[in-house]
Amino acid sequence: MTETIDQHQEGKRDVTFRVFRFNPQVDSKPYFDDYTISAERGITVLRSLNYIKEHVDATLSFRAFCQAGICGSCSMRVNGISKLACTSQVWEELDKCREPGIIKVEPLRSMPMIKDLIVDMDPLVDKMKRYANWIESTMPLDEMGKKEFLVSEEEFHRYDKATDCILCASCVSECSILRANKEYVSPAVLLKSYRMNVDSRDSIHDIRLAELVKDHGVWDCTHCYRCQESCVKSIPIMEAIHAIREDALECRGPKDTSGAKHAEAFMEDIEKKGKLVEATLPIRTNGMIWTLRNLLPMAMKMIVKRRTPPPPPLVKSAKGIKIFRAMFREMTEHVKQDHQKSHKK
Amino acid sequence: MKRYAYYLSCINESMTKELDRSIDFWQKDLGLEFVKLHEGTCCGGSNLDYVSPKHFALVNARNIALAEKMGLDLIVSCNTCLMTIRTAKKKLDETPALKQEVNDILKQEGLEYRGTSEVRHLLWVLVDDVGLESIKAKVTVPLKNYRIAPFYGCHILRPSTVLGRDNPLAPSSLDQLIEALGGQTIPYEHKNRCCGFHTLLVAEEESLNVAAEALEEAINAKADFIVTPCPLCHTVLDGYQSKALKQANIDSSIPVFHISEMVGLALGYTAKQLGIKRHIVC
Repeated sequence: MTETIDQHQEGKRDVTFRVFRFNPQVDSKPYFDDYTISAERGITVLRSLNYIKEHVDATLSFRAFCQAGICGSCSMRVNGISKLACTSQVWEELDKCREPGIIKVEPLRSMPMIKDLIVDMDPLVDKMKRYANWIESTMPLDEMGKKEFLVSEEEFHRYDKATDCILCASCVSECSILRANKEYVSPAVLLKSYRMNVDSRDSIHDIRLAELVKDHGVWDCTHCYRCQESCVKSIPIMEAIHAIREDALECRGPKDTSGAKHAEAFMEDIEKKGKLVEATLPIRTNGMIWTLRNLLPMAMKMIVKRRTPPPPPLVKSAKGIKIFRAMFREMTEHVKQDHQKSHKK
Repeated sequence: MKRYAYYLSCINESMTKELDRSIDFWQKDLGLEFVKLHEGTCCGGSNLDYVSPKHFALVNARNIALAEKMGLDLIVSCNTCLMTIRTAKKKLDETPALKQEVNDILKQEGLEYRGTSEVRHLLWVLVDDVGLESIKAKVTVPLKNYRIAPFYGCHILRPSTVLGRDNPLAPSSLDQLIEALGGQTIPYEHKNRCCGFHTLLVAEEESLNVAAEALEEAINAKADFIVTPCPLCHTVLDGYQSKALKQANIDSSIPVFHISEMVGLALGYTAKQLGIKRHIVC
């Protein structure tokens, strides 16, 4: 018994929480408050914040509800990374502190601040609405409730992981492009759009897809994988983003957006030369006028430094290109057959 | 001498030729021999995987199979090529039917993807195979007067299920290499952030904002230069630097080096030999 108490004692230490504070009604700018509390091993960041609110400073504001990693309310940045406070162990966070013993707690990024650790989720909800992220049923109204809507196991697996999303917005906070432009659709919204688009019960796939390929949509993702890495439910968000792109190319072709044209250029070049023809990539993506307007000054600098990509005729094909091309084309036949099979289904 | 198959990334054969050329100067000094894979093709640049997942598997199974035929690991010096080829490898290793389909086609060239060669980054070879102590012993011109900002880039870290070498939240391999060469790393928040390369032609303004943030932090921290293990990050941070900083109203500049150049400098080769003069920002 004594041993247990000793171990318990060893598992207790003073921890400082450096918490972001901002009340726009009173404060001209944000600041940090330090709260030092005695914390036990096993305590979470959320439990610590609750303790601070109850015993130290009742004005500290944050959102929380289930305390079990289910509701997604308590997402915030702990030591710089967006995550759920309720599933973040203080002891593990202590290993990640920039200043020893000080855990930094801040609100999510790229979302309007309301107070302290609370951010406004409305812009995210508005984007969910803009991209119609719900099921618009294919079943006529008069048949509803009269017959079953069967979903195959194979279909379910396509969106099983995507339905794990608890809308905590950690991915939104970590997104590189959203940080650069608030209009960007954002990873959580793309994930939800993917989930709806692959559901056979939904009737507005084409309308949703048409919205997704517009400016600030699916093609603006820069593949940084920060969303996926920060997902508290380990959802492969980039796979969903790539799947929307694959679907867009199949349903709409490469014509309507520069992102699609850019992606298709890789396929063309690899088949032709086994190598990317970088010199003409901007033209094939955005046309001659855009290229001249946007890249001419930089191209001049590159010419001076002899670092311009070679013009297409001077791009050497990969060694053994003939047999490579034959194999590439054989795979094209396989893909065609796959499509025929899936359409028959 | 440690032998490796060396993957030729498209960008290193066009815009960032100095990266591969500088490796040629010092590979023997560090007991390394890189056999260039002239038969290798473009990996798909993180695009082919959704344009056509099956072509993506075929192309990269072949890239790896070429190295396997020589019994060597495949070494890559572009982050995106690394992530792309490793993603394909994971898919092939986890999907026997796909592996079979691809191998049935590769037979024509006398190739077979078996999954026996590892796909690794040049940085990992330096830190893990050559080793920091051996590198230190070879340094003739320590970078001791330099404050260096390590910019890892995304695709050497994320997705960690595919990369797995460094902790994506607190990477250390590049910091260790800098220190082994005698340089001083600076605390750099943007070290594991994005350069914006993959949307340069699609969402240029956003990409340049992303790049400007990384450049600004290094400039404010008074770094002498940024070093990156990725030629795509280099292209944005060096080639697009003036445009990015102009957009962000920042009147300053900072040189950006490849890791191969930084190693070359510390081993006694000159900036001219290593091609550093070919950078847009010198």
